[in-house]
Amino acid sequence: MSNHLAAGGGGASIWLQELFRRHYKKVVTWCLRVAGDREEAHDLAQAVFVKAQRHLGAFRGDSKVSTWLYSITRSECLNYLKSRSSLNDALEDDVAEALPDDPESRPERVFELHSSVQAARALLDRELTDVEKRVFILHYGDDVPLLTITRLLGLQNPSGAKAYLVSARRKLARALRRWRASERLTA
Amino acid sequence: MAEARSTERSLLRKALSPSRACASPIELGSFAEGSLPHPAAARLRDHVSGCARCQTELTLLTQFENAAPGPDEEAAVRWISARLERRFTDAASPSPWRARHGAAPPRRSAFTALNLGGFALAAATLVAAVAIGLRESRAPELAQLSPAAPTVLRSARITTLSPAGDLDAAPGELRWEPQPEAASYSVQVMEVDHAELWGAETRDASIVLPPALRARIVPGKPLLWEVVARDAAGRAVAWSGKQRFRIRR
Repeated sequence: MSNHLAAGGGGASIWLQELFRRHYKKVVTWCLRVAGDREEAHDLAQAVFVKAQRHLGAFRGDSKVSTWLYSITRSECLNYLKSRSSLNDALEDDVAEALPDDPESRPERVFELHSSVQAARALLDRELTDVEKRVFILHYGDDVPLLTITRLLGLQNPSGAKAYLVSARRKLARALRRWRASERLTA
Repeated sequence: MAEARSTERSLLRKALSPSRACASPIELGSFAEGSLPHPAAARLRDHVSGCARCQTELTLLTQFENAAPGPDEEAAVRWISARLERRFTDAASPSPWRARHGAAPPRRSAFTALNLGGFALAAATLVAAVAIGLRESRAPELAQLSPAAPTVLRSARITTLSPAGDLDAAPGELRWEPQPEAASYSVQVMEVDHAELWGAETRDASIVLPPALRARIVPGKPLLWEVVARDAAGRAVAWSGKQRFRIRR
């Protein structure tokens, strides 16, 4: 295969175009899952390919082409989501409504009460399932909307990422209550 | 309340962002495919096993590598692919118009015309990148294909006028700025999960909301709406993007 490509024949060109289309489909599918809308996904996918061209000089062959393309897609998609962040809190309202109105159960309390970010992250690691951790980090760490997380992670349950976020926050609230109780005992 | 939420979110974002020890997507990709040199791979294995952040990135990378459109995505992916591929093919091979006149033909949309070169270049570059990656998978010498960075242009946008944001009462109509190329407009009102509540067509740059829909606009419930401008042949020529509104509680 390498020889064929190096020879630069017409067959290689067709084969390469086919390979290009395979990567291109991944990018388009991913952009569609991020945007949830074909017009916006089209613009996003186009921006990814243009950026790939622009940054070709930075590709050192340290990874597969698809990994390199993923890093560009990821960056473009996060920028896109940031630009759309004002539309993203509607489902967050639903999450808040599904939880008791207790300021102490808010997720940031985990990081306020623990002496270091590492300790708080260890708590997350201990208390949450893998999917809950992924949803929590993507939503609160990268501002990815819950509908987008549902599509990106391929979650099949009826309420998608929202259910995992509600469950994660409940678990963290319980862990914080336990943690406070043990602090009182040792004080 | 909104300000408090914003502060809280910024605190969480900071705490959950990648640390200095976290790997880049490229390093994670090499790690996952087993091509990272041994000392670096061992170091990264130790880190990833205890880092939910890197594990999340690895999950996303795997999802991307395996991304294939599901049944409900196939039509949209086909539509996007055809649109981009048409541009690529069109730009790559001279059209009869170019052959006759030696320059790009006048286009219906400035977006289309201006992006042909950029997209073709991007596509050609990617094909070249793939070729390089296949011929020599490590540290290839890469040619700079283009010193000029192409410009990304977005599809034509419709500026919406109302409703938007928090309102005191249910809106009576949707309004937007007219588009010169538009023969008609398709309008859609949706739930926040994009489930359609109501849709209609109009030739004007506004449309009255029916009473049955207005009855469903209740305080505190956010809704989305969008408008697509269509030319005489029914092709979409401009789009508003999704606009959010709700009535205050």
